[in-house]
Amino acid sequence: MQTSADAALQEQPEPGASRELPWPMLARRAHRQRLARDRVAQGAGSAGAQWTRLIRRSKEKVREGLRSLQPWAWTLKRIGGQFGAGTESYFSLLRFLLLLNVLASVLTACMILLPTWLEGTPPGPPAPNASSPCGSYNPGSHGLVTFATELFNLLSGEGFLEWSPLFYGFYPPRPHLAITYLCAAFAIGLLYLLLILHRSVSGLKQTLLAESEALTRYSHRVFSAWDFGLSGEVHVRLRQRLILYELQVELEEARVRRRAAVRTLGQQARLWSVRLLLNLVVLALLGAAFYGIYWATGATVDLQDKPLIQRTPVLKLVVDYLPSIFISVVNFVLPPVFKLIAPLEGYTRSRQIVFILLRTVSLRLVSLLVLLFSLWNEITCGGDAEDERCKTCDYNYKELPCWETRMGQEMYKLLLFDLLTGLAVILLYQFPRKLLCGLCPGVLGRFARTQEFQVPDEVLGLIYAQTVVWVGSFFCPLLPLLNTVKFLLLFYLKKITLFSTCSPASRTFRASTVNFFFPLVLLLGLAISAVPVLYSIFLIPPSKLCGPFRGQSSIWVVIPASIRELPQTAQNVLFFLGTQAFAVPLLLISSILMAYTVALANSYGRLISELKRQIQTEAQNKVFLAQRAVALSSADRTL
Amino acid sequence: MGGSGSRLSKELLAEYQGSTLTGSLPSARAHRRFCELLPQEHRSVEESLQARVSLEQILSLPELKANPFKERICKVFSTSPSRDSLSFEDFLDLLSVFSDTATPDIKSHYAFRIFDFDDDGTLNREDLSQLVNCLTGESEDTRLSASEMKQLIDNILEESDIDRDGTINLSEFQHVISRSPDFASSFKIVL
Repeated sequence: MQTSADAALQEQPEPGASRELPWPMLARRAHRQRLARDRVAQGAGSAGAQWTRLIRRSKEKVREGLRSLQPWAWTLKRIGGQFGAGTESYFSLLRFLLLLNVLASVLTACMILLPTWLEGTPPGPPAPNASSPCGSYNPGSHGLVTFATELFNLLSGEGFLEWSPLFYGFYPPRPHLAITYLCAAFAIGLLYLLLILHRSVSGLKQTLLAESEALTRYSHRVFSAWDFGLSGEVHVRLRQRLILYELQVELEEARVRRRAAVRTLGQQARLWSVRLLLNLVVLALLGAAFYGIYWATGATVDLQDKPLIQRTPVLKLVVDYLPSIFISVVNFVLPPVFKLIAPLEGYTRSRQIVFILLRTVSLRLVSLLVLLFSLWNEITCGGDAEDERCKTCDYNYKELPCWETRMGQEMYKLLLFDLLTGLAVILLYQFPRKLLCGLCPGVLGRFARTQEFQVPDEVLGLIYAQTVVWVGSFFCPLLPLLNTVKFLLLFYLKKITLFSTCSPASRTFRASTVNFFFPLVLLLGLAISAVPVLYSIFLIPPSKLCGPFRGQSSIWVVIPASIRELPQTAQNVLFFLGTQAFAVPLLLISSILMAYTVALANSYGRLISELKRQIQTEAQNKVFLAQRAVALSSADRTL
Repeated sequence: MGGSGSRLSKELLAEYQGSTLTGSLPSARAHRRFCELLPQEHRSVEESLQARVSLEQILSLPELKANPFKERICKVFSTSPSRDSLSFEDFLDLLSVFSDTATPDIKSHYAFRIFDFDDDGTLNREDLSQLVNCLTGESEDTRLSASEMKQLIDNILEESDIDRDGTINLSEFQHVISRSPDFASSFKIVL
């Protein structure tokens, strides 16, 4: 059998640079001694080639530098290689939320804390004997308090924390502070919206490329997959796992797509009716859960009046916490049902994860809404302005002299409770399960050893925690700072738990799809959190005894009042922006632009399908030409 | 760092610059690394140019030690009749092909020979299967299942095998590689 080198030596050597011939050095030296070479032309050519090489290398260095600015990049890569792209996307989302919270804390410090101290130290809490038509407000610790009470105060935001920069009530009623306080809330909200949209859109670009069937190139994936510059066992093994996961995801999605493509009309109809049925089941379950929570809230009030309940303290405790117990039971029972339903719908695994997440997020956020609803009930006496408790001061001044601080305290408690629950689950469930049951033989041991990182549950926890912070950050300005610390702790806790107790994922899903959908679900949380905040700003009268907006009819009126102090032209412009003469044409123009963008997208879609068809035709041409070439060459040989 | 202090003469360096694509400075560095693999007494310039280093010693280089394709790389570049040792010129060849300055044509030619596990001049199903196993890891739990492997190889052959003979020959391979933008940057070893 001739090797290619021997065959090459026997052929007629072609003119050209001998060092670009794929021969061993001996052969090349012989070739060069036989031919004369133009050194000058070689020199010019290599200079140009050197220049392009330099540019290419500097571009790569810049890209590497930017990527190294992101913290924990190596950790994330290690996690992705060992546990799959799903786990990596959770930690990537956590890192993104950390960035959001850090930026919000910085903005808060600049726009709320700085102006507060700039105009002189804020006053202390009101005197306990001061009284007004709206009752008296005396926060802070009374007399000597035990250590247990102090600890309780720390965990619930009462006592010494109640009159501190942590909560809304501390801030003095200065007009400039009021304006910056309100503008900070809007600015931070806008920042959140823009950053989340930006992250989602960049994920969309990658998803479109990755999920498009015509562009999948298995040959590229296999032939150019290996980076020959990798050295070191760790890197090599990591890269091998990454390649394995990528190939598995591609092949699985291709299988699902092929199954979808060959479905007959009858099978498609059956699949869509199955999907409809399952979605109705999910909606029915969610509706039953919501109604159950509503019923439990109402039943609590009725049951609390029964004398039997009042006599036994245990039953009283149960009845008091009935809504919370019901919510917890529902949050425990329904998500596994959703996880069972998802594979029946026939989507790829990446899509399944998104559906599971959407359903569990709706469930979890409802518990938050129920809490907010009960708070609203308490603050505004059920919306009834004629109720005797709310008549004098337009809000329930007896029980809630400073209702904004109370809202902040509830969100603060939720944040701490969430952190403590997470810690408890890690310490009391995950570690013991791995340590103790790992020693058990048989089925129990195997169950303990194959603990995997549950991506939808963990991402749900992140989204819930961030929504709580979004609701609470208007009433508790330092909440984003606390959340930054909490998420930092969470990152390291989860990382340690992951590497110590979890085994690598058996199956994974595509990172670009989840990187597109997770921020969108985050947007859902942002939208839901905007409702109570905007309602409080526009419709609920602020407390008369605390906060920067005391004495106003609503929190929003400081903005029109401050606009009236501006010069006349500025006033006219800004007030014009709020009239119908501006809003209606704006709406019309936006609708026209949207219709134009949709039409453009449609025509690009048609162009793309046309190009795909052309690619297929070219491939067929190639095959035909190759067969003709083979046929002609065999015809030549026989001649 | 070898302590013998042997250096290549200027003429030899110039000749190597002409024959390889790496230029003179990397050739000197390569000579130093090559000398470290030789036993102490054979490290003079004349002996190092004639000596051959066994495969095991080349495979102990840190750049190659963890590479799943290390045996194939050494076999392809070895010019000895039994393909089990490398001379300095073979070593320089290796570095030259894996350097920045090699053209994609050269790289794809040698990549084809490296991936051709049974050395028959074409990539058939067994070659591709072994290639994928090298990429994902050799142990049992890191391999693709048999059905996944079949699906993957079917897809690769459908994309690359233009004349539909069930194997990929050199020109088909080079045609596929020419459309891959990051092949040249991944087929690189820097000493």
